[in-house]
This record gives sequence, C-alpha cells and structure tokens, in this order.
Amino acid sequence: MRDYNAIVIGGGHAGIEAALAISREGFSTLLITQSLDAIGRMSCNPSIGGLAKGNLVREIDALGGEMGHLIDNTMIQMRMLNKRRGPAVQAPRAQADKFSYSRLAKETLEKEGHLSLFMDTVTDFLVDEKTNCINGVVTERGWRISASVVVLTTGTFMDGKIFIGEYEAPCGRLAEGAAIGLGDNLRRLGFHTGRMKTGTPARVRLSSLDLDEMEIQEGDDPMLPFSFDTESVERPSLPCYVTYTNEETHRIIKDNISRSPLYGGKIIGKGPRYCPSIEDKVVRFPDRERHQIFVEPEGIGTEEMYLNGLSSSLPEDVQHAFIHSIPGLRHAEIMRPAYAVEYDYLDPLDLYPSLESKVLSNLFIAGQTNGTSGYEEAAAQGLVAGINAAERLKGEKPFILSRTESYIGVLIDDLVTKGTKEPYRMFTSRAEYRLSLRHDTADQRLTPKGYAVGLVSKEKMERLDRKSEDIRHVKEILQHVKIGEKSAYDALKEPEKDILSFDIPALKGYSESILTEAELDIRYSGYIDRQERELEKARKAENMEIPADFDYDAVDGISSESREKLKAIRPISIGQAGRISGVRVSDIAVLAVAVRSIKRG
Amino acid sequence: MAHYVTEEPIYALATPYSPSALAVIRASGEGVLSLFQPYFTGKLLKASSSSAVHGFIVGKEGHRIDEVVVLKYEEGHGYTSEEAFEIMCHGSLPVIRSVSMLLEEIGIREALKGEFTYRAFMHGRMDLTEAEAVEEIVSSKTAKGAGEALERLSGSILAEAEKAKDSILNILASLEVQLDYGEDEIPEDWVFPSEEISVLRSRLLKIASTFRSSRLWTEGAVVVIAGRTNAGKSSLYNAILKENRAIVSPVEGTTRDYIETNAEIAGIPVRLFDTAGLRNTDESVEAEGIRRTESLMDKADLIVYVIDSASEDTAPSGSNVLTVYSKLDITGKRSGLAFSSVTGEGLEDVLDAIAGRLTENLESVEDVPQIASDRQRKKLEEAAETLLEAERNQDFGYDVIAMYLQSALTSIGELTGEVTGEDVLDRLFSSFCLGK
Repeated sequence: MRDYNAIVIGGGHAGIEAALAISREGFSTLLITQSLDAIGRMSCNPSIGGLAKGNLVREIDALGGEMGHLIDNTMIQMRMLNKRRGPAVQAPRAQADKFSYSRLAKETLEKEGHLSLFMDTVTDFLVDEKTNCINGVVTERGWRISASVVVLTTGTFMDGKIFIGEYEAPCGRLAEGAAIGLGDNLRRLGFHTGRMKTGTPARVRLSSLDLDEMEIQEGDDPMLPFSFDTESVERPSLPCYVTYTNEETHRIIKDNISRSPLYGGKIIGKGPRYCPSIEDKVVRFPDRERHQIFVEPEGIGTEEMYLNGLSSSLPEDVQHAFIHSIPGLRHAEIMRPAYAVEYDYLDPLDLYPSLESKVLSNLFIAGQTNGTSGYEEAAAQGLVAGINAAERLKGEKPFILSRTESYIGVLIDDLVTKGTKEPYRMFTSRAEYRLSLRHDTADQRLTPKGYAVGLVSKEKMERLDRKSEDIRHVKEILQHVKIGEKSAYDALKEPEKDILSFDIPALKGYSESILTEAELDIRYSGYIDRQERELEKARKAENMEIPADFDYDAVDGISSESREKLKAIRPISIGQAGRISGVRVSDIAVLAVAVRSIKRG
Repeated sequence: MAHYVTEEPIYALATPYSPSALAVIRASGEGVLSLFQPYFTGKLLKASSSSAVHGFIVGKEGHRIDEVVVLKYEEGHGYTSEEAFEIMCHGSLPVIRSVSMLLEEIGIREALKGEFTYRAFMHGRMDLTEAEAVEEIVSSKTAKGAGEALERLSGSILAEAEKAKDSILNILASLEVQLDYGEDEIPEDWVFPSEEISVLRSRLLKIASTFRSSRLWTEGAVVVIAGRTNAGKSSLYNAILKENRAIVSPVEGTTRDYIETNAEIAGIPVRLFDTAGLRNTDESVEAEGIRRTESLMDKADLIVYVIDSASEDTAPSGSNVLTVYSKLDITGKRSGLAFSSVTGEGLEDVLDAIAGRLTENLESVEDVPQIASDRQRKKLEEAAETLLEAERNQDFGYDVIAMYLQSALTSIGELTGEVTGEDVLDRLFSSFCLGK
C-alpha cells in the first residue's frame, strides 16, 4: 500500500511546478520541504525573466505551469528587454516582491486538493532492489513514506556550505541548515555527484542610501504580463538604481583577494562564468575602470535592497569597505552580507530527456540539483519532471519537448546530452532556431501539448484557438490591402515599416498584441524559411527512436570511444545521439542502420 | 554534427580517385535522372531501367566533357533502391573532376562517407547479413576512399580558414553578448563592423580563388596546340593522345573549332586543346573558329605552337609559348624541338618539354595556400556570400544578423571542424565582463 502516488522533495521553484503538475492531474502528492516558510523563496536576485529566461517563463505558462501567474501577481517593476536589438530575442523581465511571491506560491500549493505539504528533511530513499525502482523516502525525523514516483529538487541544499571570507557554515542559504546525509546516500546508490558554487550579494537598507548619487531606472508603462491568462497587470512600479564601482573599490578588493575562499582554494565547486563575483570581475578584467551595479528593491514594505553585480565571498569587513567606496552606497547599512554557497549536484548525464534517473527508475530530478542555475531554469525542469512523473503514473509515454520547438527542449537536451561543467544558464545563443522561439509565440508552440497531457484548461486552449484565428485574419487582410505598389503584407518585410502606423480600417478591431505578433511572423518569414530545411532534417533524426534496451555492444562497426559515450548517455533518438560531443558521423550511420535492423528483425 | 538524410540527391566516385582506364561515378536520389538529362546527349529518361545509354556529358557552357556510358536505375532497382544512375567515364583525374563539378553545379551533392550504403539499407535493399558487411564498410577504420582524398585541407589553407573563422567568431560573440545581456547591462550599441566584414570577405574569396591555381593539379593545366593551318597540330594532338579522336586531314582548315580532351603528361593532368589553324580567312564559320582559338590561347597555361619545318612561320612571343617543329620525317631538318607524328621520332622530347614548362609554371604558385576541391571553394564562397547578406540585412535586427554570421561560421566550420554554440559562449565569456 502506497502512502501517496507521488512525493516531491523540495519546495523551491522546481518543486512548486512539479508538485502542482502532478496533483493537478489528480494524483495524491506530498511535497516535503525543510521549511514551509521558504516555499518559492528567491534566494538570490528578486527578479523573474530576462533574456531567454523570460521565454522560459512564458513557455512554462503555455504548458500550464504556475510561474507566470506568480510573477504577474507580485511584480513591482517590469521591462521588455532588447526592444531595439531584435524582436526574436526580446524578453520580459520583472522585479518581484519576493515576500509576496513566496507567500502566493505557498497559498497556491495549499489550494490544491490532491496536494499535501509536510516539513521535514529527506535523508535517504526507499529502493526496491529487485526492480531498481524508488519506492519512497526516509526523513530525518524517521518517517518512511512510500510513493510510486518521486521528484527530487534539492537546490543548493544537498550538503550545502556557505562561505563569507574565513567563515563557513553548513547551510543552503544563509542561516538555513543544509540537507546533510542525502548526498552520501545517493553516492552509495550509484549516483554521480559533483560540487558547484554560486553566490549572492549583500542586501542594504534603502533609507541609508544616497539615492541622489545614483541613476534612476524606471520600469515600462504599462507593465506586460508573463502569463497568457493574464489580460493586464495593475501593480505598483518601483524604481531601481544604478551606480558604479571605481578604482578605490577595485584596490580594496585586490588588496584583500587572498582572504577570498575562492582564491584561497577553499571552494572547489565551479561557479558560473556569466555571473561572476565582483572579485572575479576585478581579477579577470583588470583594464575595466568600473563595473555597473544595480540596486534593486526586494519588495514592498521592506527596506532591503539587492546589490546586483556585487556578489562576493570576501570577509564582511572587506565587503563593508568596498561597498562604502561606491557612490550612493557610502553610508549604506549592510543588513545581510554577501556569501558564496557550494553544494552537491547530480550529473545530468545520468538522466533521460524525461528527467527520469537512469540510476533509479521512477525517480525524476529537476532544478539546481541537475547543475543549472536560475529560478526559470529550475521551474522549467520541475514542470517537465512533474508532467513525466504523472505520465508514468498514467502509464503513458514520456513527455519530451524538442530543441526546435522550445527553450525548455534546448535546456533539457543540453543537460542530458552534453552535461554541464558550470551552473547552466539559458542563453538565446544556445538555441539553434531562436528566430522561431519568440516569447509571444510560446502559447502557439506549447499550449496544445499542455492540453494533450491534461494540464491546460479547455478555456486556455480555446483562447489560443481564437488568437491563432485572429492572427490568420490579420495576415489575410494585410495581403489584400495595398501600401503603395506592394501589398501591406509584403511592405511589412521592410525594416522601417510598422503595422501600428498602417491606416487600415479592417484592422481596427484587433489588439496591439495580435497585430504585432502577425507583423513579426511576416517580417521573419523569409528568415525562418531559411532555417526550415535544417529544422526538417533535425526533426527526422529526432523521430528515429532508439529502443531503451538497445545493446550497443552488439553493434560491430561503432568506434570504441563512441560506444562508451553512447552507453553512458543512452540517447533516445538518432538525433540526440548525433549531438553527443565526440561521436562520429560514421558511427551515427552505423547506429541508424543497426536500430533500423532491430525494427525489421 | 551532420546527419544522413535520404531526401537530397547525392553522388560519389565508386572507383578510386587516381588515374585509371575507367571511373564509375554513382548518383542517387529522387529526381537525379531529370537533373542530369539536360547535360547528357543520350536519351536517359526514355531508356528502360537497368539499361546502358551511350552519349556525351556536356558542361553548362555546352562543351563536351567526356564520352560515357550511363546506367539508368528507376526507383526500386539500383543499389540504393532510389532513382539512380551510374556514369562510366574515362578514368583521368581531370574528367573525374569535371564530371563531379558538373553534378555539384546541377544540385547533386557529394555523398558523406557510407551514405550510399546507408540509403540502401534504409530503403530495405539489404538483409541483415549484408548490413553487417555494410557496417564494416561504413566504419571509419576501413573507409579511406575517394572522399577523404578530396577533402583534405593543406596545413596553410587550414590556418587561413581558422583565422577567418576566428574573426567571425569574435564578431558573432560581440553580437551575441548584446542578444544575451539586456541594454541596461550592456548599454553600448553594436555597430555593424563593415570594415572587418569586408576584409574578411576578401580573405575568404582570396582563399577560394587559390582553387584556380591549384586547379592545375586537380583539374588539369590548359595546354593549347596552336599554329598555322595544316602545320600538323591535329597529328601532334593525336600522337599525344595515342588515339584517333581529332579529325586528321591534310586539307587546310578541318578543325574549325577546337577539340578538347583530358590527358596526362608526365603525371600532370592536362586539358589538351586542338585548335583551328590561324590564318586570314573570309569564311565566316572558320573565322569564328580562329577567334575562339585566340581566346583559348589567352587563358592557356601553355601554348604549344606547331611550325611546319618546311615553312617560314615564326612562333608568337610569350612566356607560355613552346615552339615545336613538325614533319621531321618529310624535311629531315632538326631545328629546335622537332618531331614526326608519322614515325614518332622526337615525340618523347616534345612531351618532356611540355611537362618541364608546366612544372616550371607550377613552382611559382607553390607558396600560396591552395584549396584542393571545388567543395571547399564553394564553402568559402558561400561564407563570403552569407557575410554579404548579413551586411545587406544590417538594419533588420541583431537577431537576423546573428543568424547570417552563424551560418557563415557553419560554412567555414564544415572545412575546419564544427563550431558549436558552446564555442560562441566560451568566446563571449572570455572577452566580455558580464553578469550583474
């Protein structure tokens, strides 16, 4: 007898999506977290979205996930990024009231009928050794809880350790105890683990800042929503501030660099290159005279301000000195220090594209545990892990998104095919077909898939149908109206033309977002056609499935290096096999032949 | 990483890429027969499947490339079970090159290693035991064939291409950083690097153009036999070819146009031209022939100027002119390089002299990095063209420009090794200070 259909370990951004996806499909689910007060907590920067990440949030929403709703209801500033640089790579980013965000996340979980919440720490798994399936979990306080499927989302907590100069403590966040023991038990079970590092800057008090010494950065008006369900956002908009480091700041950092645990060799985990600590920036780019610092509000009704760009693991006295050398921050009261955190992650190469573990069946793993970084990356994986856990409970085939249709597909395929050596963050340049992955088309790309697995409501699906119909109509109208010599449709292919400036009566009834989306479709159509042939080839290779029990040793013609890689990764398709680094084209051909022969034989 | 697909028409040399009596070039894929028919004088489309058709392969400019036999396969019949044909042509390198280039030009691409076999299997042409044999063939350990000989990049050309790749990668990274970090983090606008792009394009085109000098080796040196009418040009031509392909006649002005064939002289591939005799004429057809001869002489690597030993003719001046005297058997006079196409006397010396002069010419281009295949030339020109497209679309948006740069990088990557998204990010992180 099982206690629950599913258990989700962890209540962060991955755990929230996983727990909601499974329970919303009607399965009894238990979410276990070390702290109920920390559900949906933003451990680092108080913002959601950004380039490529904003696309992820909209994709999560299109599939029936929650992150879009959470941020739409708690944002305190919103900006559309890359407005000038190219519509295909535009994306929304919002500052969040982190306290409201976290509270709303917990409230949303509590409203879910099939979902239970429980505060404890998971220290071990129950495993059926005969079938090599996970059966449930063991907790710190001795509970043994059984379930058919488990989703693991430990974030930075598995054997987490924080560093502030000479100080170190076993925490996942400052003053929040790490999950000790689970890492060792996972290693015993055969999981490959490694260490990664990330960091967060100090928080300072708003009333102690010299605001007039800093540039002010306002958000967009109106604020645009992330969720395709939200019509408009009526929220207060708070400003951010911009300031810069200077030579004095850099001197203080350089003089004290030996006291950094990063440079002193205490931290072994690899940190992200794209989000370096201030000491990293100063050391690696000595020619830079200044670095930009953003001062961002952490919420409404709090004075804490986040110093974006100043993450550090230097001792607190050094932090005080360099923060006070920066205009606007000269009198800053430091409320929380910056710190680095090092944690265990599990090698994502041990996962199938469904995010199910190759080590233990029925165990799905998501979020920072897989070596990623970022709330959006975590939530995207949590959602896919949750959907797949539910599909497993239903006895259905895995739910896998491709690289050609979504950033989520790119993210997961990269992780499970190439692995990662540093905390993985989504970038638009990771997507080969990014012109087709605009944030505003996420619903058209993914909502039908979310509907098919039962996570998207009928109304949402119908709204998409109406939107698609509207866009089709707008395009038809444009084809029949002349602007000068050309049809309005062809005129839009010129960069200086703008649909909103067209005086076409038949378009009057359509919303700005419908018009703009139609315009972008038309504008990019020529360029997308260019990609289409490549895309078609890619799809074909993706569709050639490799059976899960395929015996690579029984195929003669494959080189031994390629064979080892294929055996370790166990690609699900010829397409995925082709992306494994270092596997030869000729080996892929042999593999295709062999796979094909099995199907016939 | 490249994948095999079964939609595109492909070709491959089925015999080794080395001079031999006969070469077989195989092409397969939907529509290959109608793609090829306009360039073949035999009636391929009307022929029944698995039958042989005789005819000439005719190049895009209407010149005959070679006399060949083509085997036709309708869908379901050939090795791959796709619509296919096999060309049996003369096995000289210049002929193989010319036929391959023609196929490329008409939209049939060179097959990847093992691709034919792959297709054969995918179309159910082979059973399992055969498939095992196929694996042996496809496996890179055994397949050291035509493909690789054509593919190799010389060290210096590789270095040049790497340099070009590096420049594009730098430009792309500087653009990608703008796409992956918002305008608040990187406020500076990106300016299209017209200067750099134009330097890059000329570099790529310059490498591509070395194909013309290296063509002496791969495609053949152009050797034109010229001289007055009835000087014995066709006799020399035939003697060189040791076969009766040109019309040999004592009547003046028989060879009204020129005849081209591919030969090898002392191992150097040569495109040998027998031309119309040079004389003043009122006959318009012949006058046209003489005009063509003159234009051919302009692009010749070597002009073998034939003078009848009995005549008072003198050779035109020029560094690429080799003067030879014919009809040694009749006149018995031995002034300079003389030969008789009747007795064969002196012919060896003439051939040696031709080879000597050709190698002399070749030495001067040895220092320049050269590309060896038309495919490489195409990739380089493709990259240059894509960069031009990027420039033309520079007002459109960074995302579109990035797509063109990415695609130029892919073209060069196909020569030097693949460029992955990770490479771009590595460059980006190492060059820019990023992260809030």
